[in-house]
Amino acid sequence: MAGLLLSETEKVFILHGVQDDYRSDGRSNIDYRPMELETDVVSHASGSARLRLANTDILVGVKTEIDVPKPDKPDSGRIEFFVDCSANATPEFEGRGGEQLASSISNLMQRAYHSSQAFNLKQLCIFEGKQCWKLYIDILILECGGNLCDAVSLAVKAALFNTRIPFVKAALMDGGNVDLQLSDDPYDSKLLDVGSAPLLVTLCKIGENCVVDPSAEEESCSVISLIVGVTGNRQYYTQEEETDKKTMEGKCTTIAMHGPGSVAPKTLKEAINQGIIAAKSLDEALGQALLRERQENIGFKKHSYGFLK
Amino acid sequence: MPLDYRRFNGPEDSVSYKRFTKDYLKSYSELYNNLIDEKGRRKDGRALEEARSMCMFFARTDMVSQAKGSAYIELKKTKAVCSVFDPREIPHQNEFSQLGQLFCEVKFAPFSCPNQRRTHAPDADEKALSVALRQALEPTVCRHLFPNYQIDVFVYILENDGSCLAAAINAAGLALANAAVPMYDIITACSVAVIGEKMFVDPTEAEEHLAMMTPEKEGTNHGIITMSMLSELKQVSDFTQIGSMDTDCVTKAIEILEKECENIVPNIQKVLVLNVVQCIEQRKQLEEEAKEREQALNAKMEEWKQLLNSG
Amino acid sequence: MPGPDLLSSQGLRLDGRRPNELRRIKCKLGVFTQPDGSAYLEQGNTKVLAAVYGPHQAAKSKSSTDGVVVNCQYSTATFSTGERKNRPRGDRKSQEMSMHLRQALTAAIKTELYPRSQIDIYVEVLQADGGAYCAGVNAATLALIDAGIPLRAYACACSASMAWRAGQPEPLLDVGHVEEAAGGVVLTVAALPNTGSIALLEMSHRLHMDYFDVVLSRAMQGCRDIEIILDRAVRDHLAEGWTKQDIVTI
Repeated sequence: MAGLLLSETEKVFILHGVQDDYRSDGRSNIDYRPMELETDVVSHASGSARLRLANTDILVGVKTEIDVPKPDKPDSGRIEFFVDCSANATPEFEGRGGEQLASSISNLMQRAYHSSQAFNLKQLCIFEGKQCWKLYIDILILECGGNLCDAVSLAVKAALFNTRIPFVKAALMDGGNVDLQLSDDPYDSKLLDVGSAPLLVTLCKIGENCVVDPSAEEESCSVISLIVGVTGNRQYYTQEEETDKKTMEGKCTTIAMHGPGSVAPKTLKEAINQGIIAAKSLDEALGQALLRERQENIGFKKHSYGFLK
Repeated sequence: MPLDYRRFNGPEDSVSYKRFTKDYLKSYSELYNNLIDEKGRRKDGRALEEARSMCMFFARTDMVSQAKGSAYIELKKTKAVCSVFDPREIPHQNEFSQLGQLFCEVKFAPFSCPNQRRTHAPDADEKALSVALRQALEPTVCRHLFPNYQIDVFVYILENDGSCLAAAINAAGLALANAAVPMYDIITACSVAVIGEKMFVDPTEAEEHLAMMTPEKEGTNHGIITMSMLSELKQVSDFTQIGSMDTDCVTKAIEILEKECENIVPNIQKVLVLNVVQCIEQRKQLEEEAKEREQALNAKMEEWKQLLNSG
Repeated sequence: MPGPDLLSSQGLRLDGRRPNELRRIKCKLGVFTQPDGSAYLEQGNTKVLAAVYGPHQAAKSKSSTDGVVVNCQYSTATFSTGERKNRPRGDRKSQEMSMHLRQALTAAIKTELYPRSQIDIYVEVLQADGGAYCAGVNAATLALIDAGIPLRAYACACSASMAWRAGQPEPLLDVGHVEEAAGGVVLTVAALPNTGSIALLEMSHRLHMDYFDVVLSRAMQGCRDIEIILDRAVRDHLAEGWTKQDIVTI
């Protein structure tokens, strides 16, 4: 990232730390850095979230529009990811400098959300074959401090959890047109079922070990990292006790490799398992935090911080 | 978005007529039954774990005469051409880069896909394939040998009948070898489509399409995995998965793909060896021809000398 | 000339403000760690982030021996407006705004101190509710102060509009989105209130010459008010910084 220069000895220091399971900031190889999350920060968006993971800062806004469904999937809505790397993060992103990174992240997110087991697009249907909701998920990267993918996926899930879609009554008129009626009451809206939305976990291979949540310094020591997208668990996102055990286990929705290096098949398998375990605990923590915030919101106890904290 | 004035584009909101055919309206289970018969054979007669490379693999090098190295690969109906160009200085770059770079571009021919026409401008799909191709090739090329230079790798997919990324990687590996770019190992790739319990190795387009669709039963595995390997070094250079599947399934797929990638190696080696043999033969022939010419010339000289001497 | 009905009979505006009242300004310096200076500013519902990098060596093509090159980029988040924007930057409007930003901020910075150098100022509008440019200038000033770049004076920007109440002209300060959209005149002023000079003046729609001075002086008053708010924010920030440091040393 921006002007990050590490000497050979500093790299060796980080490498040795990872070998001894004691990283330079005091974490073990499976620990995440502290996170701050706040939802509903942008009033012009249907749902929004801001996540700060140590130095990484992500702002996500979800906007909804009414669109025509794809001809091959008439009963599902559409979802589109757009990533904008703000020049605030590093001067390299000025103009079109961040486009490559942005497209690779949006591509990854699109793939992770592709499966209906990850995110059910049928809930965005208004009138089959005619009208559906289109979710624009706009991701703004304000600061890069390593581990962008994980932070983006967490923020996106939180923003989707926060998203409200107005109820719409649709009726078919003659001539094949659809008549839409929207309620005037802004609270007349539904929430999305996002419990199963995937989280991405980056596993950075440093030396012989894989670490989660690499900082920018650690990322520069590694030649290859593996990104695993794992579906979430609905159970963590509702207050009701669900006994459906079948959806308990996390499933891989996307796996990708990033970096100029390569890995042995054995490491690959281990890393995938490690990623699924990490994603599970991350998912649980996110669910708890989001539910707690929603609870506070209902009781008007929540204090909005935004960027002023 | 700037409009493309050079080419004639169809109306924007037109849809393929295939949408209205019976085939299109088939349900999930019908499509599934189409793919595989009672005996567990696939539509084209292969067994589930049988890749097309075993029976219908065709590859050759020296496809494009202008390129430094090139290759053509055919996996039954999937056809891809790859050309590799000489290293050149990285354009628009001020800083010195220690390692050479690879520039990869995957392009679909407009007529390559069965359902839709591909546009001229690169779409998201092609960009993703290009990124995956670079990711796969980077670990195999000795990039430290050409600092501050880039090698261009262009893949053109003439016909897409599934596993086009695998075909692109295989073709690019061959073309790089043909261009005499120093490499650590032969690179091979293969993909597998997962539908429920079944794993379709080296899937066709129809199988891929079904694997990407939402399965009827909640919670079944589905998706596509593509893996590229450096078989001799036992290293995975790229691994892409999409869909939804549990860990056991992924692990199983990794094992299958590992084996399959190794199976392709002899095919690639054969092509490369053939290429070298051809080159040697060609050179021999050229040398012989040159020798003959020299002899003929010498004979003529002698003749003239005699004529001169006698005259 | 009956203007759009922007004032109620009680003399209050659509959002309940008095004509000479600013929207509530909340700001914070040093929100990010990576840039050399950064600031966040809320002006009513308009929310803006600014980051400053530099001064650093200028790119060869831009370098000037006279003074520092100020490089500005103004971008708006795609979700910042009511209707979704397709592009965060690069369109005509953003380019114009970038130029205006540069003009206002170059006037404030002591450019002669850093020849052959460059300062990058990036402004990101997170939520636009009228007066995004003004908020951008104010936030950028704070970010420049956070970065420790010597300024001649605070650069403050404020907008003003014109309304009629009982036949009397009544200029409105700090125009919100609803008032902007109503189609009245909007005068945007970026000034260095301390020196009394104006760095940028821009006006949309038409206004009778006679009333120009009234509107301008109202806008200048707004700039002076904003300067006081910014100044207090800077002092608070510094005081906080000192106390924090003291705790660390103890």
